[in-house]
Amino acid sequence: MANDKNAGSGKLGTFGYNALALSIFILLWTIVSWISESLFLPTPWTVLKSFLDLCTYGDVEGISLGMHIFKSTLRIFAGFVAACILGIPLGILMGLYPRVYDSTKSVIEPIRFIPPVAWIPLVIVLLVGFSRYAFIIWLGAFFPIFIGTLLSVRSVNPTHIDVPRSFGAKRLYIIRKIVIPSTLPDIFTGMRVGMGIGWDCIMAAEMIGGENEGLGVMILKYAELIRIEDIMVGMIVIGAIGFFINEIFIFVERRVFKWKEAIVIS
Amino acid sequence: MERELIDVDMSMKFDNLSVLEDIKFKVHENEFLVIVGPTGCGKTTLARLLGGLSKPSSGHVTIAGEDVNPKIHNVSFVFQEPSCIPWLTIWDDISMGLEIKGNNPQTAETKARIKEVIKLVGLDGFEEYFPKQISGGMKQRVAIARAYATKPDFLLMDEPFGHLDAQTRYLMQIEIMRIWEREKKTVAYITNNIEEAVYLATRIIVLSKLPARIKAEHSINLPRPRDLTGPDFLRIRAEITEQCEVVG
Amino acid sequence: MTNNYAEKMKTMGLNFFTLAMVLVLWTLIAYWQKSPFFATPYDIVLGFVQMVTVGDVEGYRLWSHMLHSLVRVSAGFAAACLVGIPGGLLLGLYPKIYDRTRILVEPIRFISPIAWIPMAIVLLVGFSRYIFVIWVASFFPIFVSTLWSVRQVNAVYVNVARVAGASRLFIIRKIIFPSILPSVIGGMRISLGISWMCIVAAEMIGGQMVGIGRLILKSAMVTRMDLVVVGMISIGFVGYATNELIIFIEKRIFRWRAAVSIE
Repeated sequence: MANDKNAGSGKLGTFGYNALALSIFILLWTIVSWISESLFLPTPWTVLKSFLDLCTYGDVEGISLGMHIFKSTLRIFAGFVAACILGIPLGILMGLYPRVYDSTKSVIEPIRFIPPVAWIPLVIVLLVGFSRYAFIIWLGAFFPIFIGTLLSVRSVNPTHIDVPRSFGAKRLYIIRKIVIPSTLPDIFTGMRVGMGIGWDCIMAAEMIGGENEGLGVMILKYAELIRIEDIMVGMIVIGAIGFFINEIFIFVERRVFKWKEAIVIS
Repeated sequence: MERELIDVDMSMKFDNLSVLEDIKFKVHENEFLVIVGPTGCGKTTLARLLGGLSKPSSGHVTIAGEDVNPKIHNVSFVFQEPSCIPWLTIWDDISMGLEIKGNNPQTAETKARIKEVIKLVGLDGFEEYFPKQISGGMKQRVAIARAYATKPDFLLMDEPFGHLDAQTRYLMQIEIMRIWEREKKTVAYITNNIEEAVYLATRIIVLSKLPARIKAEHSINLPRPRDLTGPDFLRIRAEITEQCEVVG
Repeated sequence: MTNNYAEKMKTMGLNFFTLAMVLVLWTLIAYWQKSPFFATPYDIVLGFVQMVTVGDVEGYRLWSHMLHSLVRVSAGFAAACLVGIPGGLLLGLYPKIYDRTRILVEPIRFISPIAWIPMAIVLLVGFSRYIFVIWVASFFPIFVSTLWSVRQVNAVYVNVARVAGASRLFIIRKIIFPSILPSVIGGMRISLGISWMCIVAAEMIGGQMVGIGRLILKSAMVTRMDLVVVGMISIGFVGYATNELIIFIEKRIFRWRAAVSIE
């Protein structure tokens, strides 16, 4: 408490140091790329110019950066929503009736260990267009959401269930008032993890899947042309969107789960 | 003597482990019955049976002649474990029992009752707090208020102060007596603390070690508020302590 | 106890039943469809035998694909541990360094490791491509979990040692290291899962003809769906086996812990 003032200036200091670190990094990057004059190390300004070109003129096929972003996010969104719609109720159901999950483990568990990316070739053969991507995202996001929900339902504090039970509450009331609120934070964490895996999957699916639009295929196109600066733009955009979505999740978690003791963020 | 409300005559087994054997007693209306026994003798099992949360393997637990069932009978339970629901405010937590018993929590009547019990346990001003923001003693007050709110015919308390420090525990005992004298209820109070038992009880049932049987029964007619150091108090306490410690 | 045993047998029986039902249904649908895109379980068994004895269209056998994928993942994963654990430990012990350079590290964390594949294709060749992608994929979970767990080491334990006059190195070795190990291993398990996903993507996109990812893709190109499924099952099996290995090691090391997280 006595260090309150110090902590305040420390925070400002941290911010300052970060700005300094970033400047030094960009400066070093510029100098090294100037000296080396390498095709493989573009200067920060080349990258910035590529970004502006991609926004205004689009890529080699004239598809703008905005279009790539739109396509990727739309695919993610469709698959992710489908994963939530299926994963959350199924997780709650199988959590409430452990016997169902315990008896179908022999089918569910092996599928869980097949990486979603390994499904891409199968999906290319069996499905077409948009459904390919939505299916892969669905598969990638489903298991974290489903398993997170299921384990959470199983670990609801038994005393919390006994409280309404001791007043003679009906099963549905207990599910509504105790089970669902208590699992909600874990469902959210599952959704956040699922969203992350969804991003990994969409990248791979777009690189392998054969359509011309999407951030994944965009950076692969430029890899074939050995245009590092455009690849970097793509990667930075991917990172920024990932960061932004993660921040939204954290913001909502903080808002909705005020009652939680502490929220672990990683 | 007031009329008999609860009639217990049962045994309880888990698989092959016998926990309660030939437990046979009655609880009278407006009585403060304390059941005391050593740690791990099946007290919580007994409490759950009395509250209708589980069924005995043989025999019965009846309330006014019917098998006890929280869906039919107006019973309340105060748990040993911290039982505040983390995502409910104090107000919402206390209104839960009333809501389950069919009272709309939005009506003026229900609100008045919630206010009344909050005042009774001294939590005024904390209505909008979450459990993480209040102390352990206050959480137990919430649990007591929640149980009292429904005006239960039968109130069960399973070591409600077991998790509290000695000081808070002592204050809560005084509190619970004050509340009980204001709103007389039929109470079964379960504890392993003999001093607490003698301080609170109108009658004490002493349980043996596992498998638990009834070892002794005492009627306590000391005047209230009881003096923890009075000669009669100490005599009864010593007697029960001895019964608890003797093997068999 | 007897009750418990009966319960276990019943669960096992039900599991067999579900599995059998799924296999029967699958076979029936496949027969009814008569589509070249739909391999029956029997086809898959034949495909497996072919993969073991003869190999794929180019003559690479199953074990060779598995070995290549395993070597790539192990090398990248080991490199990630070598950099991530000491790095996390160091930056955890000197939180100021991390706090003041976060801006350089954090953004990279949110770039999907698969998005590094095109970069790796341009800048690197052969084996090093795969190692690099796996390294990027597994570095962050290991690094971040090490870093945060160092920061959260119970101050009481450190003070106990300090009061007894322990040296800094002693505290790191005897207090900090044992208390962060569980979360470090937790981070390693997450990393391994991501690595298996990334190696499949990297093998499909990168150029070499061997590796389970490539097996799946090239079988799909010639619509040998039986071999596609064999590849998928193989990667699932290897992923499962390596995960179990870490769980086994975890249980061995942490006998002192009350409960081991099982997921």
